[in-house]
Amino acid sequence: MPRIAGNDIPANKRIVIALTYIYGIGKALSQKILKDLNINESVRAKDLHEDQLSMLGAYIEKNFSIEGQLRRQEMQNIVRMKSINCYRGLRHKTGLPVRGQRTRTNARTRKGRKKTVAGKKSVKELG
Amino acid sequence: MSRSVKKGPYVDSKLMQKVLKQKEIGSSEPIKTWARSCTIIPDFVSHTFMIHNGKIFHKLFVTDDMVGHKLGEFAQTRTFRAHGGVKKKETPHG
Repeated sequence: MPRIAGNDIPANKRIVIALTYIYGIGKALSQKILKDLNINESVRAKDLHEDQLSMLGAYIEKNFSIEGQLRRQEMQNIVRMKSINCYRGLRHKTGLPVRGQRTRTNARTRKGRKKTVAGKKSVKELG
Repeated sequence: MSRSVKKGPYVDSKLMQKVLKQKEIGSSEPIKTWARSCTIIPDFVSHTFMIHNGKIFHKLFVTDDMVGHKLGEFAQTRTFRAHGGVKKKETPHG
């Protein structure tokens, strides 16, 4: 497995796709990086030269935050919002959707498994 | 859609005037405002605002971390009274 910027990437995939296995790099960014460095997108990761790999690693580390660093930044942002008590911070605290989605129904990803409430309309109808 | 960068952040002009005036005389009286959509800019730091939520004014002391947010983000417009809990059975009056 080739290593780029301290991360393993799959050897048998095209390099555009292989790069997206790094947290913080999606397809669009991957394409941009390869274009900037003049590397053919369709080369398999295992077929890249050593110097191409190190070039990729250096370029990514210099210009983008990835993996642990990115995760830390995200955490810090959330902690900051919680500490200043802004609307988004409050939503994070209460475990409800942050970006204005409806909560009358759905929102299960944030709210977790359904908690049935006795006496609610839908429950009465069933019973 | 986010606001055009060309225009810069939206700052309520009257509120801005009031803040600058306070800066000159160096007071830190709370400023009552209804401008919830006004962005907090670095000039606002360490001033106190009373932000209207539709009913009452919420007091907010602006700190560094708040720059870039809107004033309205700090004055909730809805109150959440907790769900559920076990309802007490009504005792018959005798």
